[in-house]
Amino acid sequence: MSNILVYVLHYEGEFNKNSLGAVSEAARLASELGGEAHAVVVGEGDLTDEFLAGLGRYGATKVYRAKGPEGLAQPVVDAMAKVIEDNGHAYALFGGGLLGFEIGAGLAARRKAGVTMEVTEVNVDNGELVASRPILQDSMVSESRYKGDLGVIIGRLNAFEAAERNGASVAVEDVDVELSPWSTKATMVQRGEQRGADVNIEDADVLIAGGRGLGKPEGFEQLEELAGAFGGAVAATRAVVDAGWFPYAGQIGQTGKTVAPKLYLAAGISGAIQHKVGMQNSENIVAINKDSNAPIFEFSDLGIVGDLNKIVPKLTEAVRAKKGS
Amino acid sequence: MAAAGSRNGLVVPAAFPPPVNPVQEFVGPPTDPEDERIEVGVVIVGGGPAGLACANRLLQLLAEDEALATGLGEVPVAVVEKGKVCGAHNLSGAIMRPSAMKELFPAVAPTDWPTYGEVPGEAVYLMLTGKQSVRIPTPPPFKNHGNYLISVAELSRWLADKAEEAGAYLLTETSAAKLLVDANRVVGIRSGDKGRGKDGEPLGNFEPGSDVLAKATVLAEGTWGHLTGAAIRAFDLGTEDAQVWALGVKEVWEVPTPLTRVIHTLGWPLRTSAKYKEFGGSWIYPMGDDKVSIGFVAGLDYADVEFSVHDVLQQFKTHPRIRGILEGGKRIAWGAKAIPEGGYWAMPKLAAPGMIIAGDSGGMVNVPELKGIHYAMHSGILAAEHIYGQLKANSTDFSSYDAAVHDSVIGTDLYRTRNMKQPFAKGFFVGGAIVNAMVATKGRLPGGHWKTHPDKDQPMFRGGRAKGYPRPDGKYTFDKLSSVYITGNETRDDAPNHIRVQKEVPRELAEMWQWMCPAGVYEVPEDAEGDGPVDVIVNYTNCVQCGAITAKGGRLTTPEGGDGPLYQIT
Repeated sequence: MSNILVYVLHYEGEFNKNSLGAVSEAARLASELGGEAHAVVVGEGDLTDEFLAGLGRYGATKVYRAKGPEGLAQPVVDAMAKVIEDNGHAYALFGGGLLGFEIGAGLAARRKAGVTMEVTEVNVDNGELVASRPILQDSMVSESRYKGDLGVIIGRLNAFEAAERNGASVAVEDVDVELSPWSTKATMVQRGEQRGADVNIEDADVLIAGGRGLGKPEGFEQLEELAGAFGGAVAATRAVVDAGWFPYAGQIGQTGKTVAPKLYLAAGISGAIQHKVGMQNSENIVAINKDSNAPIFEFSDLGIVGDLNKIVPKLTEAVRAKKGS
Repeated sequence: MAAAGSRNGLVVPAAFPPPVNPVQEFVGPPTDPEDERIEVGVVIVGGGPAGLACANRLLQLLAEDEALATGLGEVPVAVVEKGKVCGAHNLSGAIMRPSAMKELFPAVAPTDWPTYGEVPGEAVYLMLTGKQSVRIPTPPPFKNHGNYLISVAELSRWLADKAEEAGAYLLTETSAAKLLVDANRVVGIRSGDKGRGKDGEPLGNFEPGSDVLAKATVLAEGTWGHLTGAAIRAFDLGTEDAQVWALGVKEVWEVPTPLTRVIHTLGWPLRTSAKYKEFGGSWIYPMGDDKVSIGFVAGLDYADVEFSVHDVLQQFKTHPRIRGILEGGKRIAWGAKAIPEGGYWAMPKLAAPGMIIAGDSGGMVNVPELKGIHYAMHSGILAAEHIYGQLKANSTDFSSYDAAVHDSVIGTDLYRTRNMKQPFAKGFFVGGAIVNAMVATKGRLPGGHWKTHPDKDQPMFRGGRAKGYPRPDGKYTFDKLSSVYITGNETRDDAPNHIRVQKEVPRELAEMWQWMCPAGVYEVPEDAEGDGPVDVIVNYTNCVQCGAITAKGGRLTTPEGGDGPLYQIT
């Protein structure tokens, strides 16, 4: 029987979205393998039975509760190693995120297990799990299978979707873990949100990006309106992020995010290579710039030489009219 | 009455000094508690030809002297390098005279050196216009028979490997931010902090620097040494002449047709009239059968606000003679570096208690011969030998090093060419005649001492220079940002600003910085109005650490270790 053990991170009374995705994925895979999906949660006094039972909605049948500092890697490695040693899980699965990378690596080293990181897909083949992982800058996919008693699979961020299913009841079992001496060396000082976690420009189909040509921070208001009309999101160049006109989370380019939306509309962006490398794979690139010599026109599908302050509001109107809203 | 900061109505960069007090900020006693200090035998700041020659020579001497090696502790020789690897911030033409390599590695055959072979032949052209050129007899200082074609970035990697094999401790991605001085003696350096944010605030990954204490400290920081500048002030090492600099911008091209000789040019696109003070020239060197190095160097005492070495190089490449060499090729590397050109009279005193200055930091560049790498290495070797000798005698008095450099090939060559740069203030043709006389008479004419003037004292005017620059086509001519991109510079956006300039400056000064900087660091805001003070935008993450800003009225300090370009074959 092949059971899958999943690490679930929680913070301020909520489970992490990527962890829930991993539970859902484990439940799906376990049902194909004829096993069960179990979860490990590490924390202090806040782990009530009722709270942990919530994992049942995502398909977990058993939750191991271990006492220890939450959010640090080594105590979780101790807890998972103990649970696996006592119960013989065949696989350990992690959602995306740096903590999972660290725990997964530690666990693999501790249990002498095979480990695959940045996994985007897991399938069952011949009663075994096969993890797929993009390699060589996402140009190829490599498949991993596991030889030993344990396989460690660590997902890429957002690889597994959290899906509620008609879960059965959850058994909560306390695990008595003796933390290794080194596991207590680090203490949690402060936890905070990753900057810009709230803006998700990578998923938008339509991106309206603004550059220094907007002239002033207020210039983004009209881009927000246009993005609203399209149902898209707003992004920015490094220059305007540096100038404090837009948050870093929306920065496209070499030192920002790489995007490939269906439509990329660049307003007042000259198109330096540092910006280009972050958006050149967009399906359709439209540029508005008053400088006809701007490099962006060399890689735009449609270029408009003109004053964006006049064009953008008109475009917004036209899009709204077309969409009938 | 002229306005403040101007002369005859022209802006003088020196009137807007950078907000920095180097001695106060960059020199001081150790601050770490004693048990947290890192103790090494000799600390060498800078993993370039000078520093690494010094490390290699020291380790050769220590290999034969176990007692002293043991006495220097667990880490007898440490090299502190701010680049990602040694060589990451090194850039030169380059043709190297082999004397120092032969001296340092007598057992290694020249065929095993990291070179592109010996100079196969040479030609010098005077570029008359953007279309015409004439070949002129090779002036004696340009004769390069027996010298080697190299990439100095590759040479430094090779020297670093040798040093590491010999037991050097290479601290890459580490800047030397502060010179540690105790009781008027240099006792080491303090490494720079890492993980600070834009406003200097510690971020999640903050790591404070450490005091690195050493019995001897070698400043081999290259052109514009951050600590060298502070040390010269703190120990009053300056001589009567100011150091002056040139800026070199270089590209490496893959070309379908092999180049079979080294080429130097004089003249176009530089303007010959004395009022512009445009002094310099180009090189084009083969790097094997499929690559060429092409670059342009010009003195930073130029007078036109719109002068830009990067754009002059782009303009230069449009000349039919040059374009023909690059035809069908592809640019694969780019970079920029300032070069000390003050020569003999501008060399600082090279030693202070506990400390030695080597290489470009000491101004050891022979301007007429366009050479400096072998001097850097020779001075590194001399530094190693003096440090070894003194430590052996239980002394940290390295003052005899200064005389040894002056008595060596470095001092004699530089004395012979001591009045090279200064005559060109009289314009290209008059200056050229004087310099030729100097070369022909081995320095007896023009005798005496022609003084240098600091680059930043040059009054600036708008001279219409920009009209000649080509519009980048992305194939043969390039803008500054795509050039920075191929240096591999990926400085994080929220790093602290390491460039000190006054912010509210006259428009001409702001524009001058904008044109001057090959990496597009300075920007005049689009909405800046009239001639009033301009609040310069400083895109410091673009910086490739060339050092030109320090010559023209600002001050470069060390960035966070690991930031800046990652030069491979420059």
